[in-house]
Amino acid sequence: MTELKIPNLNRVLLAGRLTRDPELRFTPNGTAVCNFSMALNRRFKDQAGNWQDEPTFVNVVAWQSAAENIGKHLHKGSPVLVEGRLESRSWETETGQKRNSLEVRADNVRFLERFESTAAAPGPEEPSESPDI
Amino acid sequence: MSELRLADLNRVFMVGRLTKDPELRQTTNGTSVANFTIALNRRYKSATGEWKDEATYVGVVAWQKLAELCKQYLAKGRAVLVEGKLQNRNWETEDGQKRSTIEIRADRIEFLDREGRPSIGAGTPGQESSPEPVHGEEPAFSKSDDDLPF
Repeated sequence: MTELKIPNLNRVLLAGRLTRDPELRFTPNGTAVCNFSMALNRRFKDQAGNWQDEPTFVNVVAWQSAAENIGKHLHKGSPVLVEGRLESRSWETETGQKRNSLEVRADNVRFLERFESTAAAPGPEEPSESPDI
Repeated sequence: MSELRLADLNRVFMVGRLTKDPELRQTTNGTSVANFTIALNRRYKSATGEWKDEATYVGVVAWQKLAELCKQYLAKGRAVLVEGKLQNRNWETEDGQKRSTIEIRADRIEFLDREGRPSIGAGTPGQESSPEPVHGEEPAFSKSDDDLPF
């Protein structure tokens, strides 16, 4: 029998709504990067049989053309489907403390909203290339 | 056309190795909960064309029977496939600062190491027939989470 190796599997699928307007910026070499936060809802029955809603908040980062499209077309409340992977992000606080957090790096973001005018519609799907930095 | 509602989609699949032995505890009402961290590896080509490895550390929480099985069969270095959902976890640091992160709440954990299997180059031929207590129980454990205290 052949030896198996561990697959590098890190896959996330989420649907939710943006909790605020997306932030689009550009790296010094001109690459677009967009950060947004989304809220996912889970509806479940509690022990007393009542429906409860439990939100989960997830930070997402998208790059390049996807980042630009998100920055251009989405806003607080927009529904999206995000496909990507979990990634750690490290940063320093103002007081110099090191922090670490997990966010989703999107490689596919689909807009779930119908746009009023077809001319303004960004299309059903925004494919993106993830730059390997 | 009828109104659509937004899909309730929150699904993750991860394969990694445990960075420590799992910690098992009981909630005040006796429910088992296990916590551990897995290290995921990603291999990619850098801008200069070299292969690089990048590790991501993700916290996993399992409940009830699944938590007990994790404690029983998993240890530092073991490989697992975790299927579940993302959830927030909030805590306070010792000096009272609020922190928040996301972790995976596991619905299913598959143990990828073959328990009791002699490692390559070690062990003697013929040992394969020695008892493997875990065999038959190792494939996958899943459960529904409808009635969890959460």
